[in-house]
Amino acid sequence: MKSQQKRIKHQSVEKKQARWGIAFVIPSLVFFSLFNFYPIINAFYTSFFKKKVLSLKPPTFIGIDNYVYLIQSSNFWNSIRATVVFTLGTFIPLLVSSLLFAVLIISIKKGNKFFQIALYAPAVLSSVVSAAIWLLIFDPRGLANQWANVLLNTWGADHNWLANWTMVQISTMLVYFWKYIGYFVIIFIAGLSSIPKSLYEAAQIDGTNSWQEFWQITLPLLKPTVVLVSTMSMLQCLKTFGTQYLFTQSGAPQDPINVITMNIYNTGIRDHRIGRASTMSIILFIIMLFFTWLQFKTSKSDDVEY
Amino acid sequence: MKRMTALLLMLTLTVTLTPVFAGGSQETDEGPITITFWTHEDPNRTEIENRYIAEFEATHPNITIERVTQSSTKIQELILTAFAANQGPDIFNMSIEDEFAYIANGRVASVDAEAAGYSDIEALSDAYAPGSLDPVTVDGKIYGLPLELTNWSIYINKKVFIDAGLDPEKDYPKTWEEMADVSEKLIIRDGDIITRRGFDFRYPYYLVSFVPMVEQLGGKLISDDGKTAIINDEAWLTFLKYMKEWGPNGRNLGSPTYKNARKLFNKDNNDIGMALTGLYQQGRIHADNAEFYDSGEWMVVPFPTFENAVNDVAACYYGHYYMVNSQKSDAQQKAAWEFVGYMLSHGEEYLQKVNIVQPTKTLMSSEAYTGMPYSSVFAKDLERGHVVYFGEESAKLQELIKGAVESVMLSGVSPEKALATLRAEAQEMLEDK
Repeated sequence: MKSQQKRIKHQSVEKKQARWGIAFVIPSLVFFSLFNFYPIINAFYTSFFKKKVLSLKPPTFIGIDNYVYLIQSSNFWNSIRATVVFTLGTFIPLLVSSLLFAVLIISIKKGNKFFQIALYAPAVLSSVVSAAIWLLIFDPRGLANQWANVLLNTWGADHNWLANWTMVQISTMLVYFWKYIGYFVIIFIAGLSSIPKSLYEAAQIDGTNSWQEFWQITLPLLKPTVVLVSTMSMLQCLKTFGTQYLFTQSGAPQDPINVITMNIYNTGIRDHRIGRASTMSIILFIIMLFFTWLQFKTSKSDDVEY
Repeated sequence: MKRMTALLLMLTLTVTLTPVFAGGSQETDEGPITITFWTHEDPNRTEIENRYIAEFEATHPNITIERVTQSSTKIQELILTAFAANQGPDIFNMSIEDEFAYIANGRVASVDAEAAGYSDIEALSDAYAPGSLDPVTVDGKIYGLPLELTNWSIYINKKVFIDAGLDPEKDYPKTWEEMADVSEKLIIRDGDIITRRGFDFRYPYYLVSFVPMVEQLGGKLISDDGKTAIINDEAWLTFLKYMKEWGPNGRNLGSPTYKNARKLFNKDNNDIGMALTGLYQQGRIHADNAEFYDSGEWMVVPFPTFENAVNDVAACYYGHYYMVNSQKSDAQQKAAWEFVGYMLSHGEEYLQKVNIVQPTKTLMSSEAYTGMPYSSVFAKDLERGHVVYFGEESAKLQELIKGAVESVMLSGVSPEKALATLRAEAQEMLEDK
């Protein structure tokens, strides 16, 4: 009887706490619903209509015509290609390099804070500012050609950083890599710091070298951070827009770097076709959702406990 | 508990969403009126228009004008998204290529001639130069009043010509073929990298300055009946071949990735010999480099034609028109037109302080206009030109032409292939209206 009373009392405390918990969560839930769920549902609904941004006439229901059109559109497939190329070309080097830099920085005894700040600094710049800086560097008379010509011993060569089909894709990858490397290095450093030192000490007693420590201890225990960084960096890359937009505004050809987000912007804002732009947004959303799910699914078995 | 949570959630959502969906209400016809006026940044205009606002408000105590400026690259999308949410400003202006869609979709009100200071609509039409109101006239109604009408001719830096051993007065290019040859003489390269260009195009503005080049050769963007895109393959191919030769894979005379020639011109840094721009450039040269402006070392010559041109066409002219939101109350629309009329009654001051031309007959025959350096060159090129293509799909068409030109100039695509792609996409766009 007493224990039942105790349980009821305990439950009521739990309920009270839960109520407060819900009260605190509701504002963010409302905010999230308003600015995330509502636009997604609205975009999904709009994707079945032929709708012009400025038209005062009611939109025409066209079923899945927008989806059919996009599947048959070479322009849309080019955007898929540009997005995939950019994502693979950026997120894999970002993942590998940020891990290497993090390991390197954490192993440095003196000045590692300086390197952290130096690497992180570009992340605080907006995409517009970083693209503007790199536009100056990639100008035919800019630093990129000067450095490349010194390194490659190709005096006077114009490497067409913003003009050539391949080079302009590499240029956008370079800007993104430069901008986000520091951000992911910091996350990896946080992950590395959480690995107990006792594990390394025990391994050293067993006679392991640094290489073995990295492969046998650091990397397996860092898997949750690797999954986090790879998911975040991949999603960032899939959403890339600012650099490509600024580059095309400054004369770079559009087709090589016409990523899906830029195609959505141009279709919706420039061409006023908001129905078709919404369809592209939904397709991009599904792609992002699928890869996020895939990454979490494949990493589920790798939960780490110290 | 669950019910309570659901109720609380619904209540919070209702409270949060109510102001979102309650927007867009109109002011009543009585009482104070607030007019929102969105325009692009221009410090010279801001100075005089802020004064006009103060003067207008003093004589109209029940009207308040809120002038908001945005960068010229951002204003199109800001106005578009505001109108999409039915929250557009009372007065706005953009280039006609961007504005025409607002007329086509019934988003702007026809001009209230009396409020704008004219006895009737005929008097208003009669006050403007022939053709200047055509882009905003639909079914006999006028939907905007021009803030400026601009056309481009070729500015020449005489020092660059003399430095290359040329006489600018005699050797300036009259044809596009001469333009390439003269540029070749003016150009300085460090290996493949150009350190001084002779001339370079204004790449983002394909409808204004590239389409006339095709028209000189007998081509057209859209057929007269509006049903067919890209007329006369030969003309388009000649034009695309010319651009291919101009680019880094041809004679390497310029490229879209070099700095904007018009902006470099003002600096007089031995960067550029010729630039394509409007009368307004004179004010900007004066502001950026008064010494160069006063030196007399620059001149303006007409827009060239091809040697075998069949039409004498200069660069297109384009206009910025003040428009009034049709979703506002009658009182707001009337007040807006009154204010627009008041601003535009200062044409000479706009010309002298901002270097923009409002195409009224009074201004164009005034000493203030005719006395401006090289205004006769611009006036003659204006007569040779026509208004820029301003259909609802003009931005998309411009993008398609850009794609074709850049693909031949930068990506090594053959002119034939680029033309086929351009035609297919432009035709699809026309049919998908």
